[in-house]
Amino acid sequence: MKISSVPRNPNLAFRAKGLTKVYGEGRTAVHALRGVDMEIPKGEIVVLLGPSGSGKSTLLNILGGLDRPTEGTAHFTDQCLTDMDDSALTLYRRNHVGFVFQFYNLMPSLTAEENVELVTEIARNPMDAGKALSLVGLGERRHHFPAQLSGGEQQRVAIARAVAKQPEVLFCDEPTGALDSTTGRAVLRVLRDVNDRLGTTILIVTHAAATAAMADRVIHFADGGIREISTNKTRLDPEELVW
Amino acid sequence: MSPLDKKLWRDLRRVKGQAAAIGLVIALGVMMQVMMSGLVHSLQETRAEYYERYRLADIFAPVLRAPNSVTPQLAAIEGVSRVETRVTGMVLIDIPSRDLPVMGRAISLPPGGDPGLNAIYMSTGRMFDAAHPEEIVLLDSFAEANGLKAGDNLVATINGAQRQYRIVGTARSPEYLYTTAPGELVPDDARFGVIWMNRDALAAAYDMVGAFSEALFAINRDATQASVLQEIDRVLKPYGGGGAYGLEDQYSNRFVSEEMSGLEVSASGVPPFFLAVAAFLLYIVISRMVQAEREEIGLMKAFGYRNREVGWHYMKMVLVIAIGGAIAGCLIGIGTGRAMINLYTMYFKFPFLVFVLDPTSFVSGVSVSILSASIGGLFVMRRIFRMAPADAMRPPAPADYSAAGQIGAWFAKYLDQPSRMVLRRVTRQPGRMMGAVLGIAAGMALTLSMITIYAGFERTLDLTFTVVDRSDVTVGFARPVGEDAIFALRRIPGVEVVEPTRAVGAVLRNGRFSHQGAVTGLTVAPELIRAIDSDYSTIEMPESGIVLAKELADLLDIKPGEMLAVEVMGGRQPVVDVPVVAIAQSLLGAPAYMGMEALNRALGEPGLASGAYLKIDKAFEQEIFAALRDMPMIAGVSLKSEMRTAFETLMNQGAGATRYVMGLVAFIITFGIVYNAARVAQAERARDLASLRVIGFHRGETAFVLLGELAVVTLLALPVGSMIGHYMSFAVAEGFSTELYQIPSLFLPESHGYSALVVIAAALFSGWLVKRDLDRADITTALKTRE
Ligand SMILES: Nc1ncnc2c1ncn2[C@@H]1O[C@H](COP(=O)(O)OP(=O)(O)OP(=O)(O)O)[C@@H](O)[C@H]1O
Ligand SMILES: [Mg+2]
Repeated sequence: MKISSVPRNPNLAFRAKGLTKVYGEGRTAVHALRGVDMEIPKGEIVVLLGPSGSGKSTLLNILGGLDRPTEGTAHFTDQCLTDMDDSALTLYRRNHVGFVFQFYNLMPSLTAEENVELVTEIARNPMDAGKALSLVGLGERRHHFPAQLSGGEQQRVAIARAVAKQPEVLFCDEPTGALDSTTGRAVLRVLRDVNDRLGTTILIVTHAAATAAMADRVIHFADGGIREISTNKTRLDPEELVW
Repeated sequence: MSPLDKKLWRDLRRVKGQAAAIGLVIALGVMMQVMMSGLVHSLQETRAEYYERYRLADIFAPVLRAPNSVTPQLAAIEGVSRVETRVTGMVLIDIPSRDLPVMGRAISLPPGGDPGLNAIYMSTGRMFDAAHPEEIVLLDSFAEANGLKAGDNLVATINGAQRQYRIVGTARSPEYLYTTAPGELVPDDARFGVIWMNRDALAAAYDMVGAFSEALFAINRDATQASVLQEIDRVLKPYGGGGAYGLEDQYSNRFVSEEMSGLEVSASGVPPFFLAVAAFLLYIVISRMVQAEREEIGLMKAFGYRNREVGWHYMKMVLVIAIGGAIAGCLIGIGTGRAMINLYTMYFKFPFLVFVLDPTSFVSGVSVSILSASIGGLFVMRRIFRMAPADAMRPPAPADYSAAGQIGAWFAKYLDQPSRMVLRRVTRQPGRMMGAVLGIAAGMALTLSMITIYAGFERTLDLTFTVVDRSDVTVGFARPVGEDAIFALRRIPGVEVVEPTRAVGAVLRNGRFSHQGAVTGLTVAPELIRAIDSDYSTIEMPESGIVLAKELADLLDIKPGEMLAVEVMGGRQPVVDVPVVAIAQSLLGAPAYMGMEALNRALGEPGLASGAYLKIDKAFEQEIFAALRDMPMIAGVSLKSEMRTAFETLMNQGAGATRYVMGLVAFIITFGIVYNAARVAQAERARDLASLRVIGFHRGETAFVLLGELAVVTLLALPVGSMIGHYMSFAVAEGFSTELYQIPSLFLPESHGYSALVVIAAALFSGWLVKRDLDRADITTALKTRE
């Protein structure tokens, strides 16, 4: 008798099997994910590349516990995300995950600092909100409201907010999309520091292929599936990236 | 303060206009509740206090002439705690400005003027001096109504002897809060006077020295009134007594009780509609506000905030508005309640005022607001909670306009782009639009039902004084008279029609239901005072049988064809069983009519009349009054015009007076709702409008998109509001109907028109305010901030 056992690799952060996501039904159904299998080791920086609409954000949302797949399973270490109920998922996000969203979602009625505090308040091991803002070079602007910040500055606040929590995993959906290269590199440096210092597993979705050079692992996405996974023997420092 | 609480305050400040509008509507709903119940409680409390301080008797026992020596026997009756005897009788008071003398009552007081029961409150002047028998104290409302004051002389006829008296003071009495001209229902200060004078002087005038004509009793708390009454009647029977009655049957008290219960009915029947409308609005607005925050909610959830933490954050916002509004409502309610009670104190002639608040009204007002707000918030939040955070956060999901495809072609042909945007929004987001439509409709319904009530009061007046009563003058005889008296009236030049009538007090009984009132005998086909059916045509008086007003029939739970027992309280006190033959429409009182012949037959007094209705030629008015004054059998004359005025006063100052406050509140609420709808639409579309401006639309065109939406919503709300208002007005009319008069709910197109105008005016004004804001707003802020 053959026992199909999943090898429990204690060094894996994420393990996905047959992840499928279908939006809508019938004729208008959109297959955002078509059976994704993958494993992401702890402490790696992973970059997801792929054309628009290929399902990158959808995958991130599922691994981040924001959304559920139509089919398939996803594990975070030894916890099965796809079996969790809403409140368990909430706890998962609260205790383990940091997000930077593609659309920089700041609370318009809170200042930069307060936006960060919104997260540090419920985090288990947060850093100081002001310090987090200084990391992204916005220490001086901490009392400004989102409407008083540029798009890139807002994005940096969002990163400060995710980092301030000192989470085990960090999901960044196009964190540098709206930034010039210098600021972009500075932001990536922050991510890298967190990875170095805390061993945080980081998933970065980006269109900027150059970013891939700082990753341990690069996942190429196309049409709802993984086309190719490559690993970098050596990863570059963010300062060395060119784009 | 936690970042979420900071967000809360900033959000509140951002939507302050809207929050204030909702808060106001809630405040007014709660205010209504607090004001009305405070009013009722205060009046009841004041009355109780007044009765107690001035020792109003529990039992009144009139008697023809009982010697003072009976008093100890009365005092010995089990359950009686105090007895006071006095001399009272009818007086005729000459008022110089009046053609006819006014009926009144003379009442004795002990020499010091301070009796053990039924004390009086001196409002001006002083108590009479026992050494001066010509000194009297006059009822102050009567004095005021007739321009009399302390120091004036007064000519009065007591027991047939006319004498001049001297008014030394005016007073109020808990016994005479309410006075009517004899035989009338509606109070009239000017036409019934009360004179207090020294017992010896009055006893001499009535030939009652050493005797009394009325005994007053206070009874112990635990005494059974019925058995005490029985005992008193037994003791006084030999002296012409036997008709002792309790305070609840006392004339003035009964009226005051009816007025207060009328007010109580309005207090419990009308404000809930205001509160319900406010609650509904709160629900709609809160659900839209929370809906607008869906991205923020998604974000918080993504960070790991629990549903209940997110929910509590929004609930706090809702609660701040609801509780703020409710507390403001309580405070305004206390203020207006105080102002209203002052008016009522004057109306009821209380010498002082006890202001009490009803804590349950606060509790119910505040909790209804909180509850409805919470329900509104919870409903929407539940939807959002069920959503995966990824969905809640997806950037503003464009509404699905694709289904509008086919009509789209039609649109394209006839409408410009902004008009299409308006129409699409209305047709594509029917839920939101429905909410706005219903909200405005509810406001309109409130206004409509108030306007309908105003018309109802008018109708009651009209129906009573032009349709039911077509006479000019009502004459009351001192005692029942025969045909010749009627002929004498007919012979007066200028008198066009005389219709005799016979009225007797009676208890109407149907099984366990009974009503103490009167039966009015009318001629077979009366022309002046008639019973009318629902088509306003005369109901002929049957050979035998009784016609009941609808309210009375309802009260007695009886239908035409069924038998009613009539216990007549006069003559031989016969009890007759008569069939109910018809139901009459009546808006004033609850009359019962019989054929005069039949009634007289039952009484065993054929051919007698107790009064007559006259139709006169106005040109001969003075001569007719002079002639009536000279007729000895006439005890009282009432002009219909005076009765109408008195009735109007009653409706405008009594329980009906609150309708003006309510009307105002309804109007403000309606306005608040419409204004709020405009603000919500503005907030929801700020982004779209800015985008339109960016791509080059003019201010006017973008404003049109928003105001067009408001216009469509308002127009849709009009018919809905008409319909809701139509039904609501039945309930509100019920709330305003008292035992004394009924307020019909009429379907009048003009009422619907007026309330529609109110809504349209509110919409125009709100639209103007919003437009002004749009003109001031700069494009970039709107684009940068999420809604
Ligand atoms: N709520 C939804 N309903 C229907 N389809 C959706 C929904 N969300 C995403 N999609 C579709 O799923 C597919 C994958 O979307 P996803 O957002 O994951 O793409 P992406 O790779 O992140 O693209 P981009 O680089 O443009 O952000 C797309 O075709 C998108 O249109
Ligand atoms: Mg994406």
